[in-house]
Amino acid sequence: MLHCLNSNASGSEMTVLERQRATIKWQHNNNHHQGYSSSSSPSPSSSSSISLVQVQSSSPTCLAAGAWPKLDNNFLMGFTSSPSSGFPLPPPPPPTTSAASFDLNSAISRTSSCPLPSLAEGKETTTPNNKRKTDKFHNTKVVASDNDNKDKRVKVAAPNDSATVGKKGTQACGDNSNKDNSKVSEVQNQKPDYIHVRARRGQATDSHSLAERVRREKISERMKFLQDLVPGCNKITGKAGMLDEIINYVQSLQRQVEFLSMKLAAVNPRLDFNMDDLFTREVFPACAASFPAIEMSPNMANTASYLHFNSSQQIDAGINPQDISLRRTISAPVSAPETFLDSSCFTQTLPSSTWEGDFQNLYSVAFDQARAASFPSQLFTGLLEPSNLKMEMEMEM
Amino acid sequence: MRNQRSVKQEFLRKWITGLRRYSCDEKKNMSFLERKKAIKLSADIAMASTRDKTTRWSQALIANASSSGDTLTGSSKNNSSRSRKKMLMMRRRRPKVKSAKKEMSASCIAKRLVEKRTRKLKNLLPGGESIDEGCLVEETLDYIESLRAQIEVMRYLVTASQLIINPYP
Repeated sequence: MLHCLNSNASGSEMTVLERQRATIKWQHNNNHHQGYSSSSSPSPSSSSSISLVQVQSSSPTCLAAGAWPKLDNNFLMGFTSSPSSGFPLPPPPPPTTSAASFDLNSAISRTSSCPLPSLAEGKETTTPNNKRKTDKFHNTKVVASDNDNKDKRVKVAAPNDSATVGKKGTQACGDNSNKDNSKVSEVQNQKPDYIHVRARRGQATDSHSLAERVRREKISERMKFLQDLVPGCNKITGKAGMLDEIINYVQSLQRQVEFLSMKLAAVNPRLDFNMDDLFTREVFPACAASFPAIEMSPNMANTASYLHFNSSQQIDAGINPQDISLRRTISAPVSAPETFLDSSCFTQTLPSSTWEGDFQNLYSVAFDQARAASFPSQLFTGLLEPSNLKMEMEMEM
Repeated sequence: MRNQRSVKQEFLRKWITGLRRYSCDEKKNMSFLERKKAIKLSADIAMASTRDKTTRWSQALIANASSSGDTLTGSSKNNSSRSRKKMLMMRRRRPKVKSAKKEMSASCIAKRLVEKRTRKLKNLLPGGESIDEGCLVEETLDYIESLRAQIEVMRYLVTASQLIINPYP
């Protein structure tokens, strides 16, 4: 549409005066059309054809002949598509079709005001006038016909081959015409990726606020997901409180990561986490699921031997005295009965594994060294760790 | 969202390889804080690479890690200077707020509260300064999910290594 108008503006060498005269004539036609349809309300096709014919008759005098038929096509499309989609029953006078035509009219006038700045003055004086009139007319007609078809939605069908500017114009005009309606309006573009936007009464309907509303709805939808994810967040209403809760949760998670890495650093004096070490986690049936079978391959022999240990040397209630003494040296502050209690309780709950004496010695010595060398705080001393581990085991179980 | 279990497996694999490389590169006797830092960094990077650059926080994490190397001291210095700047800004902002308080309506206050919290949340997320509000919630969702998975795997590893060291506590 814009293209043909552009060609129209450039190709034909007519004066500004002629153009203005044409627009005035056009407006006059529209006014005539309004009065005609509002007074007697004939079938829309006839009235539109009248206006079209009038436009046709007035146009060849001053406008290029090649430009108008396309416009007429657009007109006809707007007319033919809107009754077929929205209004199947012929007898009541469908005012929305004429409204659609008016929207198209105003859109055309708007887009046609773009290419020539000198023309814009004359046009811009006409377009608001025109639009206001159409709005008024549209409102009265819609209120009158509201009794007939309440459930129907106003559908503004944008022409397919119109340029984007023209499309925007039609959309905006459709919004404007729907602004004061009590009906729920639906702006439907013929693009494949159109958006359904519903504006309730009292809501702004220009394209910016529509987009803003869509964005806000998306955010609130995501916030609902977040609310489900963050524990203790579903009772809170209000965005600020929810954000507070989310911030607290994220902070706590980050601190947990910090804490766990600290714990790992405390537990492992060296950084090499061997796969065979990790594979002793097969003690936990729950953790075992999280290991892929591929990781087993390089250390297959080792793990096999360890598993052999696990299966063969099941520990019973009696623990080696050597072990106990060792552990006493590790966790000095803990009294003997307590350790005994701990270990016995664990042997009851866990199918724990035992290790060779020298292996254990090696580990505990390394552990002792690490503790003596680099433990800055009392947090990770041997006193705390058994209880921590116990708690976690209980959680696991 | 992919399957949680596969995400965890991938994260663990990457983390272990990262830790191994780290332990090969670095000297064997590190201090406690160094070890902790290395573990955390490797875990973060593993998690970010598990997310595979589809989210901004993972990109930012990887970028931070590669730019700052692996020195935590530098980043902490940055943090302190940033917080100092923030304090200055807050101080500068305060009188304005007080003067404007007289004509502030309830909705205005609520909006300000929300803005403040949004800013805070942006500071929490890695690379959150460049995220706009629409994406922020999405990113937060993703970040929380992956943090959870990370914590779970780390907990597994902690229990496992504790079991190795003292099998019967």
